[in-house]
Order: sequence, then C-alpha cells, then structure tokens
Amino acid sequence: MNAVWDWISAVADWAAANWNPPGDQERGVWPRLVEHARLAYLSILIGLAAALPLGLACVRWTRLYPPVLTGVNVLYAVPSIALFFLMLPYTGFSDWTAIVPLALYTLVILLPNVVDGLRQVPDHVRQAAVAMGFGPLRRLLTVETPVAVPVIIAGLRVASVATISMVSVASLVGLGGLGQLILSEGFRRQFDAPIVVGIVLTVVLAFVTDALLVLSQRLLTPWVRRDGRRRKRKQRAAVPAGEAAAVDAGADPTQSAETGNGAHPWMS
Amino acid sequence: MITFEGAAKHYPDGTVAVAGLDLTVESGRTTVFVGPSGSGKTTSLRMVNRMVAPTSGTVLVDGEDVRSQDPARLRRSIGYVIQQAGLFPHRTVRDNIATVPLLLGWGRSRARARAAELMESVGLEPSQAKRYPHQLSGGQQQRVGVARALAADPPILLMDEPFSAVDPVVRTGLQDELLRLQAELRKTVLFVTHDIDEAIRIGDRIAVFGPGGELAQYDTPERLLTHPVDDFVESFIGYDRGVRRLAFFPANELALREDVLLDDQDTVERALNTVDTAGQPWALVVDAQRMPLGWVDVDRLRHEPSGLELGRLTLTAYGHTFDVERDSLRAALDAAVLSPAGRAVGVDPDGRVLGVVSQADLGNAIWSVS
Ligand SMILES: Nc1ncnc2c1ncn2[C@@H]1O[C@H](COP(=O)(O)OP(=O)(O)OP(=O)(O)O)[C@@H](O)[C@H]1O
Ligand SMILES: [Mg+2]
Repeated sequence: MNAVWDWISAVADWAAANWNPPGDQERGVWPRLVEHARLAYLSILIGLAAALPLGLACVRWTRLYPPVLTGVNVLYAVPSIALFFLMLPYTGFSDWTAIVPLALYTLVILLPNVVDGLRQVPDHVRQAAVAMGFGPLRRLLTVETPVAVPVIIAGLRVASVATISMVSVASLVGLGGLGQLILSEGFRRQFDAPIVVGIVLTVVLAFVTDALLVLSQRLLTPWVRRDGRRRKRKQRAAVPAGEAAAVDAGADPTQSAETGNGAHPWMS
Repeated sequence: MITFEGAAKHYPDGTVAVAGLDLTVESGRTTVFVGPSGSGKTTSLRMVNRMVAPTSGTVLVDGEDVRSQDPARLRRSIGYVIQQAGLFPHRTVRDNIATVPLLLGWGRSRARARAAELMESVGLEPSQAKRYPHQLSGGQQQRVGVARALAADPPILLMDEPFSAVDPVVRTGLQDELLRLQAELRKTVLFVTHDIDEAIRIGDRIAVFGPGGELAQYDTPERLLTHPVDDFVESFIGYDRGVRRLAFFPANELALREDVLLDDQDTVERALNTVDTAGQPWALVVDAQRMPLGWVDVDRLRHEPSGLELGRLTLTAYGHTFDVERDSLRAALDAAVLSPAGRAVGVDPDGRVLGVVSQADLGNAIWSVS
C-alpha cells in the first residue's frame, strides 16, 4: 500500500517539477499538453469542415457517395505512422505533418455520420418541406442539416477521442504533444513518471473534449427529447432521430390520445 | 376550381397508379378521394401541387395548367397536410406554423403574429407556441399541421389522410374542427382517406377510386349511399349504407311525445294518472329545468307507495340523447336502439328534454323518407 502511495507521489512530484520549466520549453508538461490540444483540435475542425460540404454533396448527388466512401475507407486502412512519414518530405517538421493525416482520419469517421444524419430525416418531414415550397438546397440547409446535428455530433465524439489518442503517434516524427513525454522522456529513459503523466493527461483531455461536445449538442439541439437516460447508439443508428424520440417517450402518434389538457373547445 | 383532364400516371415498372382521371373539383367545397390502398388517391392529389408529374393529361388550377407555374411558387400557394403531420422536429410549434409566411418573405414578427392567430383557430393553447413537436400528442401535432398549411391563407388545401393516425375520439374531434373551419374559410379542400365514414362526414362531393387507379363514382355523399353505380362501390360503402343514409335526414321532423314526461316532484299517484292517459309502458322523469333523470317502467310504478315522490325512486338510465335541431335520424335511431326503454330522448342544445320518440314512431319516419 505504502509503495503504491510513494509511487503516485513520485509521479506527481515529477509532474510538478517539470510542469513549465522556464527556459526549457521543449520538455515541460504544460507546453506539451497545449501542443497536444492544438494538434488535435485543429485536425478535428479541419476534418469537420471538410466532411460537411462533402457529405452534403454526397446526399445531393447520390451517385457520388459510393466512390467517395470507398476512397476514404481505403485511406483509413493506411497506418497513421506511414502517413506521418509520407508527409515529412512535403511539410517537414511543422504541425501540418501531424494535422493533415489526423484531419483525414476525422473526415473518414465523420463522413458516414454526416451522410446518414442527413438521410435519416423522416420521409414525411422531407415530403412536407417539398410540399411547402422548399427548393432542394434550402431544404438541405434548413431542414436536413439541423435535423442531422445530433448524429454529426455523435460522430464528432468518436472522432475526437480517436484523434486525441492518435496525436501521440506523431511523436515518432518529432511532434505529438503528450506523446513526446511518453516516447522520449519515458520510454527512452526507462522512466515511469512521464509515461503515466502523459497517459493521464491524454485521458483528461479526451474527457474534457467529450464533455464540451455533449454540452454543445445540448445548446445546439434544444429540440431533441432528453429524459435522462442516453439512447443506445445502435438504436440511434437504426431509427430516425425524430421518430426515436417519439418512440422513446411512448409518444407514438398512432397511440396517443389527447387527454388531460382540456384545450378542446368542442368537447366542452 | 381544380380540373383533372385525362390525368394519368404510369410508372416505368408498368404500375398504373392513375388511369386517366377526368374530374372537376369545385371551389370552396370539400372534395374527398376515397378508395382502397393503392388506388391512386395520393398520386392524384400530388399532381395538383406538382409533387407528381402526370405521364399524360393535365391538371388545371383555375383554368391554368400547373406545369406553367414554378413548382416552389405553386406549392407555397397550396396548403398540404399529411398523415404523420410532417412537422419539422427542430422548430417550435410557432415556427413550424410560420414556415410558409417566412418563405414568402413576410418578416418574422408578422409571420409569428399570424402563427399565434392560427393556433387559436385550430384550438391550440398559446402556451404551446414554444414547444417542440415531440412534446405534443398526435392530435395536437395534426392541428399544428393544419395550422401550418393554412398559414399563408392559400385558396387550396390538400389533405392526405390527415387524421388516420389518431384514435377515433380524437379523429372525430379533428373532423368537427375541420368542418367548423371550412364553414368559416371556404377553402377548396381535397381530402384523401380510405375511411368511407370520414368521407361521408367531411365531403360535399366524394370520388370513389377503384383498383387500378380508375375513378369508380363521383357524387354527393347522399347519392353515393342511395345509388352506388356498381358492385365495387356498393361493397366499398359497406352493408349498412341504408342506416348510414339516415344521416342525411334531420331529426327535427320527428313527432316527439311530451305526455310521458314526469316531474321529479310528482307523486307516484299523479304519475300513474298521467301515464294511463298516455297509454305508454315507459315514462321519463325530468327535473325542474327539464333535464332528464331517467326512465320509469309503468308496471313498477304500480307497486310503489302512491304518495312517494318520483325523485326518490331508482330510475333506469336514460342513455344517449339526441339533439333535435342538429342531429339526424341516424342519431335518433341509434339513441332509441341503445335505450333500455326502446325510446330516444330528444333534447335542445342545452340538454333540456323536448320529448321522447319510440322505435315504432321512428320506424314510421324512416319509412316515409325511404
Ligand atoms: N415511385 C413509384 N414507382 C412505382 N409504383 C409506384 C410509385 N409510387 C406509387 N406507386 C404505385 O402507384 C399506386 C398508387 O399509389 P398511391 O400512393 O397513389 O395509392 P393510394 O391510393 O394513395 O394508397 P394508400 O391508401 O395506401 O395511401 C400503388 O400501386 C403504388 O404501389
Ligand atoms: Mg396514399
């Protein structure tokens, strides 16, 4: 018991001592964390910025989707290390060496979510939009995209965790934020503390990011039914969001009766 | 006025959804398309707002071919209501209703004011304005759907099975509401259903579609019930069309008996005098405001102490009543058949008893209109 405690305090001492050593920017824990977050967030944002228009295009011109999906899936099969090394001749040791491949991975994860999200808009909602005189583009942007937001954010959550953990791999090409602590400080010197600190901070960063995404979903989609329990992912994929919400609440329109609010003039 | 001129829809797979429809829908009236599943009702309806293009023939709105108009512009001038309401899940009730006015560039405040106005006319509470569709019951969602379709005050309203996903009680309420709105607004309503009762209730004119997208009969509800053109229409209408037809005759010409009404303050002795004069086996006890209390059987009355007040007796429930001014012979017959006394109680709009009518007297009245 005492040994474990000693070990934990040794790790904490190391982190405190190396948190932000003045004059030694490269080796501090804090600068590494900032670098990690910067690489991860930029990659996610660029991936999202690419996935949205590409997804919209794939929904608008359906024949585009199968080849595009195959293309990005092939890309996903390439090991990340290989991509980082492939980037080196073009981008050198700049951030872009890490960001370009990571943004591509984010795109791969997000694209199916964007497309499925846009497609899962219930048919009656789409029909109603057409019947009210929405043109195709207006419908895509003002009806289908907002309705797809929960599914897109679900994809972002998966992509952001994957990206945050993959940034560490970029330490092999001299980038990689917290990965540097693990690889050069810890692994090469056979020293536990930097490895543990690197892992813990990576997990914390992933958690915080996920929490931010959940929060932003709540702010962006006040119209989604929430009743405390989280819906299962499988169910979310299988049932269109609007309908899943209705089924969840037992508010299936075919079964609900208008009872209990006395707002019906002809009944009185 | 909407005119279908040989409008047909053949799909490439060989399906004939609509086989050359010739039909004129009158302005300001409710025309119902009714027929079995797959008979081309939805397809025909959607030809009007160009959601379906006929493969041959034309559809004219007020004499103008719909194909000569921009589809989006045309659709904004035609209201459309569908079965699952098709509300936008991410917009509040108010913004759903304001959709078309906003598309037409009305400006937010004017569109919202219009939405509030419509919520009232379809019977929604102002407090529901900021709710999202999933927070409403199915019936309330349909009301929002109707309000949304009416928002820009279009002259034409297309309704595709708008009430078929709600339970029967709510459906009847929604039908009543539509009838009330229509009496006020006088839109050209095209209403699709496969429920013949709904068609008869709602429609000024009914088009019965047969299998293969053929129009089998186009007539008023009454003529449809009295003169179905063929076996298909007859079987579609159902075996009890004779009874349903009674819905077209008012109950206000029935001879109501008042001599069997007894006051709850009367004694058994006086009551016996009254009923002996009337010669009827049942009498109806009413209170001082002439509200019905229940039936009393004359044989039983003879066994009660003669000084007892009628109000103290246990009476037989009077069951359904019918409104003499507003209901039909069908409602009166229904009330009589369900009454334990075999007699129907006719009331005024406030529920005060005007008189009773026996099954035998009803039979005579029915005989005379048949
Ligand atoms: N895109 C399509 N391709 C082929 N056939 C179609 C298509 N759309 C509709 N149909 C067929 O056209 C016929 C008429 O369909 P429609 O939807 O008009 O029927 P309906 O009378 O509205 O039926 P319901 O009461 O079930 O709604 C059906 O047999 C249907 O299968
Ligand atoms: Mg249909």
